[in-house]
Amino acid sequence: MQIQQLTLTNYRNYEKISLQFDRQINVIIGENAQGKTNLMEAIYVLAFTKSHRTSKDKELIKWDAEYGKIEGSIFKRNRTFPLDVIFSHKGKKAKFNHIEQKRLSDYIGSLNVVMFAPEDLYLVKGSPQERRKFIDMEIGQIQPVYIYHLGQYQKILKQRNALLKDLMRKQSPDLTMLHVLTEQLIEHASIVLERRFLFLRKLRDWASEIHKGISRELEKLEIHYDSSMEVLEDMSLETIKETFQTSFEAKEKREIERGTTLIGPHRDDLLFYVNGRNVQTYGSQGQQRTTALSLKLAEIELIYQEVGEYPVLLLDDVLSELDHHRQSHLLNTIQGRVQTFVTTTSVDGIAHETLEEADIFTVSDGKLQTEG
Amino acid sequence: MYYPEPISKLIDSFTKLPGIGPKTAARLAFFVLEMKEDDVLDFAKSLVNAKRELTHCTTCGHITDRDPCSICSDESRDGSLICVVEDPKDVIAMEKMKDFQGKYHVLHGTISPMDGIGPEDINVSSLIERLKDEKVEELILATNPNVEGEATSMYISRLVKPSGIRITRIAHGLPMGGDLEYADEVTLSKAMEGRRDV
Repeated sequence: MQIQQLTLTNYRNYEKISLQFDRQINVIIGENAQGKTNLMEAIYVLAFTKSHRTSKDKELIKWDAEYGKIEGSIFKRNRTFPLDVIFSHKGKKAKFNHIEQKRLSDYIGSLNVVMFAPEDLYLVKGSPQERRKFIDMEIGQIQPVYIYHLGQYQKILKQRNALLKDLMRKQSPDLTMLHVLTEQLIEHASIVLERRFLFLRKLRDWASEIHKGISRELEKLEIHYDSSMEVLEDMSLETIKETFQTSFEAKEKREIERGTTLIGPHRDDLLFYVNGRNVQTYGSQGQQRTTALSLKLAEIELIYQEVGEYPVLLLDDVLSELDHHRQSHLLNTIQGRVQTFVTTTSVDGIAHETLEEADIFTVSDGKLQTEG
Repeated sequence: MYYPEPISKLIDSFTKLPGIGPKTAARLAFFVLEMKEDDVLDFAKSLVNAKRELTHCTTCGHITDRDPCSICSDESRDGSLICVVEDPKDVIAMEKMKDFQGKYHVLHGTISPMDGIGPEDINVSSLIERLKDEKVEELILATNPNVEGEATSMYISRLVKPSGIRITRIAHGLPMGGDLEYADEVTLSKAMEGRRDV
């Protein structure tokens, strides 16, 4: 999969730029605050229709403009198609082949992107919410119907929490409605959990293999799914449903006392172990970074397996932060197969072999120049 | 305010209607000023009459000008069949079909704890009373196929189940005259689930 062309209109600090990408590796060089990350963000938004940095779409529009637009020309499965994402003060539109896609799940997945940025360290050491977001986004871009089940789950969860809060205050509550919502919740919770397990089984295989390579066979990475109930990853959908049912029955009293839902995918987490020790708590900064990198590289392979083509890789300000060994491991993995965008403040930290194969763009104050 | 009081009051009244903002309200108000006095009087009368003369049927909850409503009092309809809907507008939609010969029960909403609407806030208790008094053989649940509609249907079915009355849920799936390729995955999977022998 490849981005052949990218045009930004009134996007962040760009008034209008149009870029052509002919080579696999594209290096974007510039001082701080010139618009390097904005360019990466634009590609990310083109894939997901939302930013990895902000939840406020309005921030993406250039400050003095009425609307902002990202247009891309994507080459995938031997054909070229256009993607457009348009933001205005009224909302956003995402178009595939010039036709607006009303549902997010119809659009996402047209362009697959994997981003590795400094903040991905939080994937390892941040809050559980970060890891849930990671897993949900990744499954979503491979299996758009997952987004639907997750959305329904969150909707029912809100209803159920409101009801539990209400029941908490009552003397002799009628539990019929609670049981109805529990049944509805389990329907979607089981699917979400089953898909997460399936994703994890594949991610785990790739990630530990890659981690072994990066750490020169010194480290063994393990990933555990930390569920809010007793469940086994190889359970069938039916068994997961039954497990939810018995767990909810057992926790009913406590849920009413606390006024909130205590089990379900919204309370689960991923745990990372290196050589048997939890990296989140005991790992060094370097180990945490390697873990995050392994996960991201595993994602690339996973998407290839599921979609049949490699995703586009965005490396925002991270290449120069990796030591020589990790850098070359990274570049070996992607070599010639994955279209990659790299941002950096200077070429000093980047290996010569990489630069020779790359197109270099210099960004300065929202304008770009190409140096072959 | 730039408007004289009578017109600003009229604008105010129009904005209370759904889907009408201040600009549309102003346009409508000025249009009323241009209308013939007789038409305006008629309009005002219909508004007041609609409100005064229409009540909710004490049996089924549908809007009516006499109690019980024309559907409930129609002897030719099959009283052993009750179709439960969310809204009076749903009754009208069902009636347009001209195929359903049973009776209705209007809930006036769905259960939604998030919005503070519990089972006691919708027209469920009178349905339970009805099922005790009338000879009902089948209850058709025709609430909308969204989260709240489903939850409400499930709630009613749990409540009624012990009585042994047959409970059915209307089918979900593809719209007639539709195209398979344009259907979303969820609708399709519902249609697959609800497939039947031919």
